[in-house]
Amino acid sequence: MRSRLAGWAFLLPLVAYLAVCYAYPLFTNVDLSIRGYTVRSFVHGGAPLVGFDNYVTVFSDPTFRTALVNTVLFTLISLFCQYTIGLAAALFFARGFRLSATLRALFLVPWLLPLIVSASTWAWLLNSESGLVNAVLKGVGLDPVNWLTSPDWSLVAVTIANIWIGIPFNLVVLYSGLQNIPREVYEASALDGASGWQTFWHVTFPLLRPVSAITLLLGLVYTLKVFDIIWIMTKGGPSGSSTTLATWAYELGFGNMLPRFGPSAAVGNVLILIAVVAGLLYIRTQRRQELA
Amino acid sequence: MFPASVPTRLLAALGLVVSVTACSSTPATTSDAFSVWDPYPQFTAESEWAKTIDKCGTEAGVKIQRQAYDTTDLTSKVLLAAQQGTAPHVLVLDNPVVSTLAEAGVLKPNQDVGLDASQVSPNLAAAGVVNGQTYGTPIGANTLALYYNKAVLAAAGVDPASIKDWDSLTAALAKVKASGKKGITFSAIGTEEGTFQFLPWFWGAGASLTDLPSGKAALELWKSWLDNGYAPNSVVGNTQTTSWQEFATGEYAFTENGTWQLGNAKKAGFEYGVIPIPGRTGGTAPAPTGGEFVTVPAQSDKDAETKAGRVATCLTAPDKVLASDTALTYISAVPSVQQQQVSAQPELAVWVEAVKNAKGRTGDDLGTKYPKISQPLWGAVQAALTGAKTPEAALRDAQASAK
Amino acid sequence: MRSWRTPVGVLLTALMLFPVYWMVNVSLTPMSDMRKPPSMFPVNPTTEGYERVLREQLPYLGTSLLVAAGTVVLTLVLAAPAAYSLAKLRPAGRPTLGFVLLVAQMIPGIIMALGFYGIYVKLGITNTVWGLVLADSTIAVPFAVLILTSFMASVPDEVLQAAKIDGAGPWRSFVSIVLPASRNGLVTAALFSFLWAWSDFLFAATLDSGGALQPLTLGIYRYIGNNNQEWNSIMATAVVASVPATVLIVVAQRFVAAGVTSGAVKD
Repeated sequence: MRSRLAGWAFLLPLVAYLAVCYAYPLFTNVDLSIRGYTVRSFVHGGAPLVGFDNYVTVFSDPTFRTALVNTVLFTLISLFCQYTIGLAAALFFARGFRLSATLRALFLVPWLLPLIVSASTWAWLLNSESGLVNAVLKGVGLDPVNWLTSPDWSLVAVTIANIWIGIPFNLVVLYSGLQNIPREVYEASALDGASGWQTFWHVTFPLLRPVSAITLLLGLVYTLKVFDIIWIMTKGGPSGSSTTLATWAYELGFGNMLPRFGPSAAVGNVLILIAVVAGLLYIRTQRRQELA
Repeated sequence: MFPASVPTRLLAALGLVVSVTACSSTPATTSDAFSVWDPYPQFTAESEWAKTIDKCGTEAGVKIQRQAYDTTDLTSKVLLAAQQGTAPHVLVLDNPVVSTLAEAGVLKPNQDVGLDASQVSPNLAAAGVVNGQTYGTPIGANTLALYYNKAVLAAAGVDPASIKDWDSLTAALAKVKASGKKGITFSAIGTEEGTFQFLPWFWGAGASLTDLPSGKAALELWKSWLDNGYAPNSVVGNTQTTSWQEFATGEYAFTENGTWQLGNAKKAGFEYGVIPIPGRTGGTAPAPTGGEFVTVPAQSDKDAETKAGRVATCLTAPDKVLASDTALTYISAVPSVQQQQVSAQPELAVWVEAVKNAKGRTGDDLGTKYPKISQPLWGAVQAALTGAKTPEAALRDAQASAK
Repeated sequence: MRSWRTPVGVLLTALMLFPVYWMVNVSLTPMSDMRKPPSMFPVNPTTEGYERVLREQLPYLGTSLLVAAGTVVLTLVLAAPAAYSLAKLRPAGRPTLGFVLLVAQMIPGIIMALGFYGIYVKLGITNTVWGLVLADSTIAVPFAVLILTSFMASVPDEVLQAAKIDGAGPWRSFVSIVLPASRNGLVTAALFSFLWAWSDFLFAATLDSGGALQPLTLGIYRYIGNNNQEWNSIMATAVVASVPATVLIVVAQRFVAAGVTSGAVKD
């Protein structure tokens, strides 16, 4: 009993913080999404409750489909590549070698850059006219690609930049996960005569599963929310070809002369809902693992 | 959404403590400071503009706290602040938004606060007129024209005076391309800037914003320039700044750009000239007016509104506005000041002329409907230029979604 | 074995850091060369970008450090006790709270910013450093709680049982056993919260863009924004911005490595 009280005492600051800093914005957003705001009623109050009207508006907008498909593609491809590359790098660095600590630290540099900077740098590298990437393509005899200004390539371009930015996060978490695997396990596996590849598939990877799951889940949550990179590189364009739900929500609420707070809030809530479903799936699989 | 076992009362108490400390540690000075919001973050506290604001504050007997925001989210911020009853005392904002905020009751009409826009050219003041009342007064104006690179045109054998209509312009671009240089660059980005740049061509085709498909010819013109390689593909992502940077390489014959680039033009390192944007079949196409209005948002305190009116009057007074317009490279909205500007800088004459012919974006009784049309329009421009839709279909779809 | 890893590691790192190199390259390129075909090295290097940054950006740098450090402190103060409770004291409603934390992380920054802006404006605390610290901490706190919980869960229960038998209360166990044992986790959480606060732009832009004390991301944005895109200044600021963070991460890395070794000894 005493320990339960103590448990709550330790939790209390966090719970209070969550109530003040998360519950209120969330409440505001839900409220925004179920009212029919005009600019006037936004300022002076008295916006009528309209139920799901804003959601209907959003769902029936042709942009919704594009944004949803783009969000799914952007998120899944980013996650897969970030995780694979991050894990490969973590495995590579897990064996200490000369300079390994320094190089690993340097690998994290992309993470240090403010997103506004990395996004601008990528935008400059991928610029159609004076970007380095197209200069190199021309150099090896390929046609230049309109990375940021062609509807076929803009999503690819922002995904590449996002993968690059996400690798350090995956490396850090997976690396510490690898460090927590007891050395004896590897030694036992080596004694059994397992090859490096076998050890990885049958020992390392399963033992890393909890860390992998949390990495992927956090990665999913962050990728769904990604806004700065896309907004700075393409503004979601050209003509909506790299719009995701996050950039669309921003565009509706802020990127426009006439803010449409209601539909913007509705898109934001759809985004949260998707993330919540992913979270529930995670918890279910985790619980099943605990039971197993 | 929290575990049921949480002692709710305790939680509420804690929340209260947090918010009470938050209130008590608020610096008391912010409440009596007089706030001015503007969209000129490029001007630091040492700039002429900031000094002018301070001077006007002193004259009105208030201590001013200036806050500079990015122009794209200024509207949203003002709305959120007004919702909380803490709108700034004086607000400088982009002219197409004035009517929206006025209609929302965020702004006070000029006559209530002693602001006077009667000296301003009517075509410029128009953006602030809602239901017969004028809201705010323009600090200055800018508009678009075509800058050209003299050396590139000479090498291609093009006489800039020969450009009278779209056909002669396109013919000039063809000659430039044949001479190995690049034709024209502009901004067709998916923001208000894209619409701003497209409007001279749209209006030049005789089209009206109430009927987007009527501007089909303008969009077909732009599309043909991209298809023929007269304009680079990067225009789709270009802001007006980046398209200027392309022009500044000296590779391009033309750029569609604004008054504010004059300072940069002198630094470009080559001879340049400026011609008005031609209409489809000749004459000068109406270009949209750009530039900000100085406005007075509504306050609960009448006295503060009056003082704000005095500050706004001071900021737009002919003697003060010359310095601000020079710093912004804007054309003054007041004809007498325009003459002063031209006598000091003769090259401004073409721009003064352009501003006189310019047309407000919210004109044609469009008012608060403009933002609802502008967004589908830039979307249509992007869709057509990237080949996602034909110009005709793109404009038709835009018109449908504008309703 | 070791011989091939070092050169490959150097090569991979070089590849990974190429965009960063490009940033440095551009920061030294004069404006006039910017739109010419790109060259791998700054042919006519100029320091005009850096001169401008040192002239204009130093106050921004100080604010960013202050905000990031404040965010780290606030995040750890909130997250460490909570993580201890979740990992070791196991109060009722633990799964629910875990789920709430997960959901909290999922709220897009724009929604948070919109909500905060309303509250801050009402309280008159926009454009304050600690207001920004509070907002920035919301990016890091849920993550810190989750990561610290998993680190603290790996502290053996027997050790805590032994301490309890010796008469140590929950607070003493927390301070003298759990915290030191999860140093790695603390460093990781601190590192991430520092970096997130350091690179935050959205909250800074919405909550602190009109004030006297502004973080570096807004300083950079000044160069990108309104009609003056001067890439060498932007990139020079970016380079300057990465210096303190790079120093920090190199130091922290050493710390993480030390923690790992001590963990190995413990086993």
